[in-house]
Amino acid sequence: MVLGLRFFTERVGDAAGEPVLDAENEEELMHVQPGVAIVLGNRTPESPGTLYISTKRVMWLSDMVRERGYSVDFLSLSLHAVSRDPEAYPSPCIYAQIETDAVEDEESGGSDSECDETLDVSKVTEMRLIPSDPNQLDILFDIFCECAELNPEPVEEQDEEHNWIFSTGQMEDGMGTGGGEDSEWHISENPANPIGYSNGGHDLARTMLEYAELFSGLLSSSYSLQLQIDDRRFEDAEEMERDTRSGHQ
Amino acid sequence: MLFFSYFKDLVGREVTVELKNDLAIRGTLHSVDQYLNIKLENSRVVDQDKYPHMTGEQDAGNDLGLRLSVRNCFIRGSVVRYVQLPPEGVDTELLHDATRREARGG
Repeated sequence: MVLGLRFFTERVGDAAGEPVLDAENEEELMHVQPGVAIVLGNRTPESPGTLYISTKRVMWLSDMVRERGYSVDFLSLSLHAVSRDPEAYPSPCIYAQIETDAVEDEESGGSDSECDETLDVSKVTEMRLIPSDPNQLDILFDIFCECAELNPEPVEEQDEEHNWIFSTGQMEDGMGTGGGEDSEWHISENPANPIGYSNGGHDLARTMLEYAELFSGLLSSSYSLQLQIDDRRFEDAEEMERDTRSGHQ
Repeated sequence: MLFFSYFKDLVGREVTVELKNDLAIRGTLHSVDQYLNIKLENSRVVDQDKYPHMTGEQDAGNDLGLRLSVRNCFIRGSVVRYVQLPPEGVDTELLHDATRREARGG
């Protein structure tokens, strides 16, 4: 899968019409919002244009130039938000962050791609959509949410056999030996690094729940969860050990 | 589904969501779905200087030019690295039991 923003020019008919959708993959149009300007990164707004939201992606097409348009898959949208704070941006807008495949800024500039019009859209990480009617923002936000939820991360085939949810035997072994080294599920109490107290600030004394590779973990059930919690909250840890031990007697 | 149920119980509380791109957003948890997509209300970007333990590598390449102060924010579950929870929102007893149950496969 290719992440990031792309140029988009496939339109129905000859005029500045609607975008051609990927009917084979059951892409359907969810919403059309005329009168929307688009801002890519820190560039100046482009307008006027029309926003098309489908079940798969967000497309913005210029009303003036048929060959001008952009699209981004919902899979590439890390977050979207309603921005009404004039300090954040002068016009109320939908703000979106785009996940890209581009290597972090280290790449030498000056791509020699031919479709590159001084702007390498695949590296754009921020997009703002400014409807001429700010009252549409909440509706647009809700549609974005709805469509984002239609596009969960594709399940990657993993051959890893280390699937703790279903390997209860393995888990019991791990518990019996006082916490198997290979158990991906572990609750660690690490007094050397109590995250909640690193600053001494009260508001920082909070529990931190880490779920590394959260999403893939959920799907593949191979998530490693690490809870770092104040020691005192694990008073029943001993009890648990006793239970385990007595269970083996 | 432990996480999902757990996060649902935290709706209405203040959380800080740290993304894999090192951005941290604080807000009131509005909802969470089965993919752990997270919706926040009254959200804002956290001043990272106050959270030195969260800065993996705060290099210049990560200048998002972002001063995000927004009402509603939707964060894709797959880009979340951490969720910081309010201590009072963590019922360790409950969580303990739940994780054990889950480990037993029930």
